[in-house]
Amino acid sequence: MRIVNALKADVRFQIKQGFYLVYVLLTFIYMVILGKLPQEWKSTVIPLVLFSDPSMVGFFFIGALVMLEKVQGVIQYVVVTPLRSMEYLLAKVVSLTILAIAATVMITLATYGYDLNWFLLILAVTLISSFFVFYGFIVAVRCTTLNQYFIRMIPYLMLIILPCFSLIGFPYSWMFNIFPSVAGLKLVFGAFNGIDILSASAYTVYLLAANLAIARYVEQVFDRMATEGA
Amino acid sequence: MIKVTGLEFAYRQSPGKAIKGISFDIGESEIFGFLGPSGAGKTTTQRIIIGLLRGYRGSVEVMGKERRSWGKDIFEKIGVAFDFPNLYEKLTAYENLDLLGSYYKNNSMNKDELLNSVGLLADRDKRVEKFSKGMKMRLNFIRSVMHDPEILFFDEPTSGLDPVNAKIIRNMILDLKNRGKTVFLTTHNMNEADYLCDRVAFIVEGTVPVIDNPGELKIKHGQKTVKVSYAGDEKPREELFPLAGIGRNSEFLEILGQDSVRTIHTQEATLEDIFIKLTGRELL
Repeated sequence: MRIVNALKADVRFQIKQGFYLVYVLLTFIYMVILGKLPQEWKSTVIPLVLFSDPSMVGFFFIGALVMLEKVQGVIQYVVVTPLRSMEYLLAKVVSLTILAIAATVMITLATYGYDLNWFLLILAVTLISSFFVFYGFIVAVRCTTLNQYFIRMIPYLMLIILPCFSLIGFPYSWMFNIFPSVAGLKLVFGAFNGIDILSASAYTVYLLAANLAIARYVEQVFDRMATEGA
Repeated sequence: MIKVTGLEFAYRQSPGKAIKGISFDIGESEIFGFLGPSGAGKTTTQRIIIGLLRGYRGSVEVMGKERRSWGKDIFEKIGVAFDFPNLYEKLTAYENLDLLGSYYKNNSMNKDELLNSVGLLADRDKRVEKFSKGMKMRLNFIRSVMHDPEILFFDEPTSGLDPVNAKIIRNMILDLKNRGKTVFLTTHNMNEADYLCDRVAFIVEGTVPVIDNPGELKIKHGQKTVKVSYAGDEKPREELFPLAGIGRNSEFLEILGQDSVRTIHTQEATLEDIFIKLTGRELL
């Protein structure tokens, strides 16, 4: 199957570019630091860290990936193979999301233990990670260098991070649930601290819809890029 | 295999048309050269046919079907080698072929044989970042043929290659033709076009004023002359005579009679001379 082969290609590319080595080191550092936290802080800090790093790793890595492929001209060739745009995108989403899940599981097991809603945690990380990979692609497609990506991603990052402060709770803060990042963060928190089934279902369905919508949009963005010069 | 009729194209960001109503067709097992200076519309036309530029006017039929009606399956039947070797730098030569080859239904070609055909078998497990430009161009070339496509698009395929490797690539292109493949060759190398192409199209400023066989073009537009080099009274001399009526040309016969001739060559206009003559443009 083409998509499986595309996934293999991406994983091999990411390994050779040293992505996984960097991330293993980063995960190890998290494990050491978070392990030293007082027990009563852990159910607050660990979900925040899992949300801000493993879940969002795709956002940072997709930029680096696309830039490397652009610089090497590989995208230019991939678009003249039978690989469909969505297959190309999904291969990246799946490979980076597997990385996010693996890091999440390792950090959680090493620093928190088993006593949490694992199903909800992995579901939340999967949905946030895939959303952020697509989201990062929108930024990456408009850049030509890695430095450009790191500068241009700042407003995009603010747009999804700032609403997360609504979790502190203030009048009308519920309105910020419209941001997929807020819905995702609430799910991750819910996995550690409990969440009612109705809210969990609503956030899950909302994140699924957000993923579908952004996937379709990014597919169009990719096609436009492919036909206007990758 | 390819039929282009009244093709027009304008880039969104530029005011004028890049392609101004060009028409041509390319048959099976034909090597068709698309020649012109930089910015003439060669690459634009090629990208439209490949499907990398949309929003064209006119008709572009590929294998009997309008290009815009084709989906991604067309890439099972066409192969493309750009002028820039776009390869995974951190992967080996073999991995590059293996990974991208896996996207095709026809992935049965022996990759070692392909690597061997362009002298890269010994470097199959070497990372591409360690390759010279010429090695990358050869790998780039075999990657475009590894799924045995019907139509091939080559953009300056011998650019950056030494004469020996350029010859290998040219022979492979001729071999593709002999196997019934159609080749669309974009180049500004007139000697290469002359050697390889069944027909050439000259493209200048988005128009195609000339399409013909290189040999025919030379007959129609070239002035045949004979250049005689001989030992003069004090220093060697050269004279040019029209080929027509050479046996009755007294001046020519007189030089022959002096027994001092060093060389005699018939002079033929090159494709480049004809291009300049017909288009008024240099091939820069």
